Amino acid sequence: MKGKVIVDFALQFGVKLVFNDDLLFQCEGRFFLLNSNVKSLVRDNFFYAGIYLGKVRSGKFFPSFNLLSMLIEHECNRIVIDRKTSWLFICGRNIFRNSILQAYGKIRQKNHVLVLNELGECLGFGRVLAGFEEQQDNKNSVAIANVLDIGDFLRREREHKNRLDIKQR
Amino acid sequence: MSDREFFVGRYEKLDWKYRPVKLRQAVRFNCFNIGGQDLVSRLCGLGLNLEKIGFLSSGYWVCDSKVSAGATAEYLLGLYSIQEAAAQIPVSLFSNVKGKRVLDVSAAPGGKTVQLADAMGNTGGIVALDISKQRLTALVNHLERCRVRNTVVYQLDARNSPKLGLKFDRILVDVPCSGNFASDPMWFQNRTLEDVTRNARVQREILMKASECLSDDGEIVYSTCSLEPEENELNMDWALHHLDLQIAEINCPGAQGLTSVFGKELDPSIARCRRFWPDTTQGFFVCKLVRRRS
Repeated sequence: MKGKVIVDFALQFGVKLVFNDDLLFQCEGRFFLLNSNVKSLVRDNFFYAGIYLGKVRSGKFFPSFNLLSMLIEHECNRIVIDRKTSWLFICGRNIFRNSILQAYGKIRQKNHVLVLNELGECLGFGRVLAGFEEQQDNKNSVAIANVLDIGDFLRREREHKNRLDIKQR
Repeated sequence: MSDREFFVGRYEKLDWKYRPVKLRQAVRFNCFNIGGQDLVSRLCGLGLNLEKIGFLSSGYWVCDSKVSAGATAEYLLGLYSIQEAAAQIPVSLFSNVKGKRVLDVSAAPGGKTVQLADAMGNTGGIVALDISKQRLTALVNHLERCRVRNTVVYQLDARNSPKLGLKFDRILVDVPCSGNFASDPMWFQNRTLEDVTRNARVQREILMKASECLSDDGEIVYSTCSLEPEENELNMDWALHHLDLQIAEINCPGAQGLTSVFGKELDPSIARCRRFWPDTTQGFFVCKLVRRRS
């Protein structure tokens, strides 16, 4: 199965994803999901195509935000956080128990959870640090460790700009 | 004579008097991602006040802002892109792009590619080309942020586009150009007429190769952010004489294309092009081309 690493990743959120192998493409460790229109435009040497799902580097899978968005469409482990915490999470911060407005799915230690804002938009995902239930009494403890957040796009832009600056010097 | 005087003198010969300009920041909503929500109010709540740009369907001026337009959650969620107002025009000139096969020949950093995908509702397919791998990285980050799903990207010189062996219904030829003083404060110091001439030659080569990929009832939109006629009207005049193309009427603001340039009379249909002298937008030139009808 071509996309086993992606299927395994989705399982950590409690989601069973199924891919059509004919439409799942791998290029230099990066995975892309295509439809028939997009597939008809693909030649051997493409750089990017269709829906980018993530990449494998040094044996570890790094998901894309497209993949996280696909997980939302299923019943999965997720938490909803308040507005102030949303921005802090985007800035790379962890999430305290008292910032979590709602939680769905299996919020157990080491499980992955999608992190949503109050409008249900996916801001990234985190790892549950301790059992959600056991922390009910300690609302000021860190409950979710930030693993990936959409602030990553800004970090990439900054990195790209720095690289260009170095090149121009 | 300094380069500044030289170029300003040229603009006066084209009936435009040089004046320094202050560009207004503009954003474009990605309607496919927004769905039915009221993004104007949502951004206003953050202190980002917008005003609709009359000649664009989803373009807004940034009136005043307490936050950086490029550092909001809404931006990172791909609900809008920062895109200069005039740069939003070329894609808007295509007729009916939904379900079509579209080529974007010099795509990075991807503002217009994302706009195309949004106009297409992520249907059909886009092929986006750029020669620079570093610029492609910026392009694909842009595609991922804006949840684009219908695009294939190649690291390819636009002059090699026929090598893909594909025909396209719509082709965006937003060519690499000399730029203009409004968006580059050092423009007069850095540019010479030789640069302009060299760029114009490359632009013709790109347009020629792109036209080979156009389907019989297809459309090409050619655009630059240059003010220099060599890269604009003179290139279009060349295309009319050397390629199987004619200029289509467009419904678009801006001044008519110049039909008399430095004493040379051009094809009258070049008046159908649109030229934007710098004002609230940067300098820009746009033209829509279709196959010549016998």
